[in-house]
Amino acid sequence: MVMSAEQTVERAQMPAQAKDTRPGIDWRGRALDRAPFLVACLMLALIVAIYGSLQSGVLSLDELNLDTAAAMTLMLAATGQTIVLLRGGIDLSIGGMISLGTVFAATRFTDDPSTTAFWALAILGLGFLIGALNGLLISLLKLQPFLVTLATWSILNGVAMIILPTDGGSVPGWWVGFASAQLLGLTSPVWMLLALLLFWWWFRATRAGITIQASGSNEKSAFLSGVSITRVNIVTYGLSGLFAAGAALFLITQTGAGSPTIGKDYILPSVAAAVIGGVSLFGGRGHLAGTLIGAFVLTLIGNLVFVLHVSSYWQPVASGVILLLSVLASSVAEKAARSRVQ
Amino acid sequence: MDLVTVNGLSKRFGGIVALSEAAFSARAGEVHALLGENGAGKSTFIQILSGAVKHDGGSILVDGQDYRPANPDDAQARGIAAVFQELSLIPDLSVEQNIWFRHEPQTMLGTVNRTQTRRNTLALLEKYDFPTLRPEQELRRLTLAERQIVEIAKGLAKNPRILILDEATSALPAREAEWLLKLTRQLAAEGRLVIFISHRMAEVRAIADRLTIFRNGSTVAAHEANTVSDDEIVTRMIGRHLDRLYPERVPTMTQRIALKVANLTSGSRLSGVDFSLREGEVLGVGGLQGHGQRELFQALFGATKAGGMIELWGKPAAIGNPRQALTGKDGIALVPEDRRGQGLLLTKSVRENLTLSVIRRFTENGLLSRQKEAALVKEMVDFLRIRAGTPEQLAGTLSGGNQQKVIFGKMLLTEARVLLLYDPTRGVDVGTKGEIFQLMRDLAAKGYAILFHSSDMPELVHVADRVLVMRNGRIAAALEGEHISEEGILRAAMLETRAA
Ligand SMILES: Nc1ncnc2c1ncn2[C@@H]1O[C@H](COP(=O)(O)OP(=O)(O)OP(=O)(O)O)[C@@H](O)[C@H]1O
Ligand SMILES: [Mg+2]
Repeated sequence: MVMSAEQTVERAQMPAQAKDTRPGIDWRGRALDRAPFLVACLMLALIVAIYGSLQSGVLSLDELNLDTAAAMTLMLAATGQTIVLLRGGIDLSIGGMISLGTVFAATRFTDDPSTTAFWALAILGLGFLIGALNGLLISLLKLQPFLVTLATWSILNGVAMIILPTDGGSVPGWWVGFASAQLLGLTSPVWMLLALLLFWWWFRATRAGITIQASGSNEKSAFLSGVSITRVNIVTYGLSGLFAAGAALFLITQTGAGSPTIGKDYILPSVAAAVIGGVSLFGGRGHLAGTLIGAFVLTLIGNLVFVLHVSSYWQPVASGVILLLSVLASSVAEKAARSRVQ
Repeated sequence: MDLVTVNGLSKRFGGIVALSEAAFSARAGEVHALLGENGAGKSTFIQILSGAVKHDGGSILVDGQDYRPANPDDAQARGIAAVFQELSLIPDLSVEQNIWFRHEPQTMLGTVNRTQTRRNTLALLEKYDFPTLRPEQELRRLTLAERQIVEIAKGLAKNPRILILDEATSALPAREAEWLLKLTRQLAAEGRLVIFISHRMAEVRAIADRLTIFRNGSTVAAHEANTVSDDEIVTRMIGRHLDRLYPERVPTMTQRIALKVANLTSGSRLSGVDFSLREGEVLGVGGLQGHGQRELFQALFGATKAGGMIELWGKPAAIGNPRQALTGKDGIALVPEDRRGQGLLLTKSVRENLTLSVIRRFTENGLLSRQKEAALVKEMVDFLRIRAGTPEQLAGTLSGGNQQKVIFGKMLLTEARVLLLYDPTRGVDVGTKGEIFQLMRDLAAKGYAILFHSSDMPELVHVADRVLVMRNGRIAAALEGEHISEEGILRAAMLETRAA
């Protein structure tokens, strides 16, 4: 068809703007964004269902109290890890920090509450400082977070070994009792879980939280917008160290003793919990709620393996499979989302 | 008194001199155009002014006071805001979070006050009569043009005394570009200084009070805009006289059909497109932005799913994904819209970017021939006059226009003879633009078939043999011969469909 020049144009009828055919709120896009999280919820529901069919009383308050206590160390460690992942980094040193924390606690805590409180605070402070140092090194040396935190992990591990070469030491009974203290039928770990969610809800809405997320989403853009990347790294890894120290303090309520090697059991699971919960390894995306669900999934798999009376070596196998499934789910969702945009 | 005075400004990146002894001065209340070819140092200059890059030597005075920003915050504190060429937006934040990033109104809890943010956003968008933006939308779902508009809003949100627009119009459709020009004048009338960078002479003409020309990192001229001719400006910019921008249009098309498209459909954006592109033809695609042009190119390239039929050189083609679209001499190659997002690997070298997708061309018996690769890379770099220190320079550190050239080179190296050029001259300087048009005609003469979209309508009018005008995901008209004119294209683009 060739346009003839005589065709007339009614100016009044011209569309003012290219018509926007998209709906006001992009529900499908939002659903796709949350797909990894929804998949994690589904997995948790599935595991609870299987667990419940094998064991009575799974949907009880007691069970919630027990499982949360079992998951809380991982949850604390994974909270720090989630912040780091959101920033687009990774923190391996939490393994060393957790070991060192339990070792300090087991050797320094006494029956005197004020001494113990002092050391507990000191451990938390140390966690933040060591994390901050990680962040500073990453910025100053322009090194991969993986390398820097691998090195600090090794160093912290070594120091823990020097202080306490084998598992041992002890903490006062009232410290151990903290984990089973109850309020309104809920034990303190459940309250901690709620506190973590509350913290996240606040943190993610603060400028600091947004800045950390933004730096993980696009570091160059964040820099051009005036963000000091060094400061972001210090705060991010500092928080991670702080949560790792918190994880250590909780962990000794469960073990009652210090261990210079126990921390390594939390490094990869902390990353796995976050990834299962939909946190992106490339930074910028994810929520703590997902991570906490991921931590529950990983913990309950342990229970499941136990009630199935199979070899406990099946636990890492099952965790790995679940991890793969979640990664797959998020990549499928990602592709679907992308093919819609461009 | 001048608001900004710059003297002897120098900046090197390793061995590359980006600025040497550049000078600049501008007053409050004016639109000051900064001109120069690709790689002349314009963006580097802007980045220094806005604190993103530190200079090696020279002095900058703002309000007569020494100014040496350590970071972008310092620049903001002095009332300087930049709309960066590469954009400074965060993909995972919403539109409004991006606009107010780090300047959000806060609640007593230290959290961002979302109601206030929304109110401020709407007020800002209304004050400057912004094109429609949805504040809650996530940035990564936006088109390049929409992102550009968000970046502009972000700059204005700081209420700057000096606003720098680095090729802000280049990603905008005609209507939005016009809006920005008007806005620029309005800002100057409010007493602000706007530093305006563009490769489109008509825009510069329309709004600039004064202009400064950079060449190879130095200032070669500064004028009142109305005292120089276009010709003089271009000659100053590129260091030689440019006879003509548009090459002569010698028809070279044959009867052979290179690409036949029937009933191409994709979602709500493409609803039944039919056309054929012949060997030796440059076929333009025009119309108002957002009527399916982007989707057409993406669907043809296989980057989005689509239904319908595509024939390449007479054979039905199932174009499922980009890799398939690429293969061989019978394939299709694309110059995409978003060069930083889709076209380039910013952390890879110029050489790697050029050759990654055609590695088999340098492979003999399974071994890579570095010599052959180097020879072809050199040929391409020379041919397109890519301004890089060495072929090993990272693509992300090239100037904007030179990045575009690398994408062009990458496409040429695939040997595909059906070329999809989506805005191939975006951000390219006049001299090179002329060369690209000439190149397109030369390729057509060699039997290539070229589908060509440009957001700059005169380019379609002067370069294409025929122009398809799209409206609502369909081809509304195919213009030929004397019917190809800006008016003709607009008319076809805006006419309501007659048949019910
Ligand atoms: N980070 C960097 N590392 C190395 N070289 C750089 C870097 N940034 C800029 N350059 C070089 O400095 C020169 C000037 O680049 P600049 O981006 O200022 O050009 P420009 O005038 O903005 O060009 P365009 O019109 O293409 O955007 C170019 O040769 C570029 O390759
Ligand atoms: Mg530039």
